[in-house]
Amino acid sequence: MAQNQLKSLYNDLKRSFEAKPFDLKKCGSLLAKLKIGLIETGLLIPQGEHNIDDLVVARDILEIGAIWSIRTRDVPSFDRYFSQLQTFYTDYSSVLQPSKNEYPIRGLNLIRLLTQNRIADFHTTLESLPIPADAIADNQYISHPVNLEQWLMEGSYSKVWNARERAPVEEYKFFVDSLMGTIRNEIASCEEAAYESLPLKDALTLLFFNNQSELLTFAQQRGWQVDLSRSLIIFATKGEEQAEIPKQKLISSSLAYARELEQIV
Amino acid sequence: MKSTEKEDQKDDKKQETKEEVKKEPPTPLAEIKGNFVLIDRAVSTLEPRFTHRVLKTLTTLVKKIDEKIIRNAIEEVYPKESATKTALLSWLPASPSEDVEMQIESSSTSTTTTKPAPVTTEPVPEIDIYLRLLIIHQLLKSTGSVSEAKDLSVETVKKMQALNRRSLDSIAAKVWFAVERSFELDGDLAEARPLFLAAQRTAALRHDDDTQASLINRLLRSYLAYSLYDQADKLVSKTTFPVSAGNPQFARYHYYLGRIKAVQLNYSDAHTNLQQAIRRAPPATLAPGFYQAVHKLFVVVELLMGDIPDRGIFRHPVLEKPLKGYFEIVKAVRTGSLSQFQQTVLKHAVLFQADKTHTLITRLRQNVIKTGIRRLSLAYSLISLKDICVKLHLDSEEDAEYIVGKAIRDGVIDGRLVHEKGWMACGGAGGVKRGYGSEVAEVFTRRIGYCLELHNQSVKAMRYPLNAHRKELADAEGAREREKELAKEIQEGDLDDEDLGGDF
Repeated sequence: MAQNQLKSLYNDLKRSFEAKPFDLKKCGSLLAKLKIGLIETGLLIPQGEHNIDDLVVARDILEIGAIWSIRTRDVPSFDRYFSQLQTFYTDYSSVLQPSKNEYPIRGLNLIRLLTQNRIADFHTTLESLPIPADAIADNQYISHPVNLEQWLMEGSYSKVWNARERAPVEEYKFFVDSLMGTIRNEIASCEEAAYESLPLKDALTLLFFNNQSELLTFAQQRGWQVDLSRSLIIFATKGEEQAEIPKQKLISSSLAYARELEQIV
Repeated sequence: MKSTEKEDQKDDKKQETKEEVKKEPPTPLAEIKGNFVLIDRAVSTLEPRFTHRVLKTLTTLVKKIDEKIIRNAIEEVYPKESATKTALLSWLPASPSEDVEMQIESSSTSTTTTKPAPVTTEPVPEIDIYLRLLIIHQLLKSTGSVSEAKDLSVETVKKMQALNRRSLDSIAAKVWFAVERSFELDGDLAEARPLFLAAQRTAALRHDDDTQASLINRLLRSYLAYSLYDQADKLVSKTTFPVSAGNPQFARYHYYLGRIKAVQLNYSDAHTNLQQAIRRAPPATLAPGFYQAVHKLFVVVELLMGDIPDRGIFRHPVLEKPLKGYFEIVKAVRTGSLSQFQQTVLKHAVLFQADKTHTLITRLRQNVIKTGIRRLSLAYSLISLKDICVKLHLDSEEDAEYIVGKAIRDGVIDGRLVHEKGWMACGGAGGVKRGYGSEVAEVFTRRIGYCLELHNQSVKAMRYPLNAHRKELADAEGAREREKELAKEIQEGDLDDEDLGGDF
């Protein structure tokens, strides 16, 4: 593909990306064409020296691709774009001007890891961010997922709930929705352990439901007893766990000790 | 020939005049020369043991030497017109004329005292590499010559690879360290990475354990310096660290592993690795930097696991000062005071940032809250959520309810929430029930297992002097002989007895 053709496609993509309303389909087809172009010019995964302008264009295309995948709700595709962008963000960081989209996209990646409950990966990624740890609080794109993680871990679910409206970029909301499903289940499992019974009204607010029917279907899913006359949810108390003596294990370990002792003496 | 004779004469003269002043031999020079002999022997007998002995003194030797000593050593060991010699000398800064004179003098004294015959044969290339190693370390001492050191180290590596001698392996391991050091001081450690990776591949193929161990650590260090935990983790999973590696390399490896595991929230593994690193590390007074770095991380990991580190660590003379900030964190976590914790983090933020433990420490927040709740649950049988909120400095009652709920679910405390009344009822005596269960048995098994393992390992690690069994055999032979004699005697004795008996 000729260089100028690539250029015109890129301009096309940029225009349709910035246009409102945003044309998902057109962007998708343009991206597919552009990616082929990038591969042909060796810019998709650049190695060695390249023209700086070309690299910037390639990075822009991939960034648009990443955001586009979020808008089309295609998480695996976002994952691919993000890995391709890594080269630009880390290996060429000394050559290229930092992109204004870099941190939003990094933040999106963090939230994605959080919603998939990949906490270990989340921390690894966080650790490898090129910004110092005490500057994280100043970077709204990064501090958002970081705070979410902290609140989730300590159990301040209401803060997570309230933060969903404060997403720094529109795209964050896509992940926040699925995050809500996760925390609702978290809260439910906490309630099962912590309460004997709970008035329906309070359960409604605790679980962030808007109306009772939603709550009732949720309660049904989790197998809760609902006493409508007293408007109470009664959580089944778990019977005392019968402590069983692991006979097999005890015998085998005792025998092992005896054998070892014999060797020593 | 004539010229050398002349020089010898001149030397003799000079030596006479200098004899008084030069009473004691220059120890570092003698040491270097002793090392040459050892290296030579190592190469001729194919015994890496001698080289190891040479390298053991490297760090102390490097501290003592200067350019002059190295130059003298080079002058002595190489014949007059040697290309290697000029190449080596070119890396040392040109000496002022006075120095040259001095050098001739000192070299002459030692030639006449230790080596009467002038050197004519080219020494083994191992000595060349060893000298290069010394020069790199020398160049690294001053900040001005770091880039030279880098150039030299790269050249040395090329030379090493061209020579491709197995007797070079253990020296090569040290050279790689010098390479890393020079790149790091020059500020572009990342540039050396392809070099390390390629060398690591070759070393693995040749089963060159020393170099491999050294290179894996170099790579891990370079990844971690740039916070590339993913790559470091992949490297660890794709390589096997040679078992025969020395303790210092193992200590480093375990420390890096501990770092990676801690970041991945795998605290118990990180804990074991760091413990190993501490055990294998050189004594605290010898390498205080490493000791401190490991302990800093160790304290944080222990806190993250929910344990409180030993008080004794913070009283250790080497650790007391650098770990002060960490001690305050420990205190805050122990008392479960969120505000104190946050103040301490803010106060020491710069320190934690420099130690790269800041993100790990921010993870401690939830532990602080948990400790706080546990303390409350032990002290009160009933407490309102509002009071919990006040005591733990939480933002709202709503939060407190969720947090307590989570703590109950996670088994941190034993209690119940009563939403209508807005309080938490604590189980109180509930905790006593779990005295003996399968958990206790498991812990017991683990401990016994550890003791047995330790015993077996120490039995395995016992060394017996070579040929000692021969002596024993000889002893046994002698014993048998004696036994025979004894038997004979007894027999005779028996006869005697009988005789005696007969007599009576």
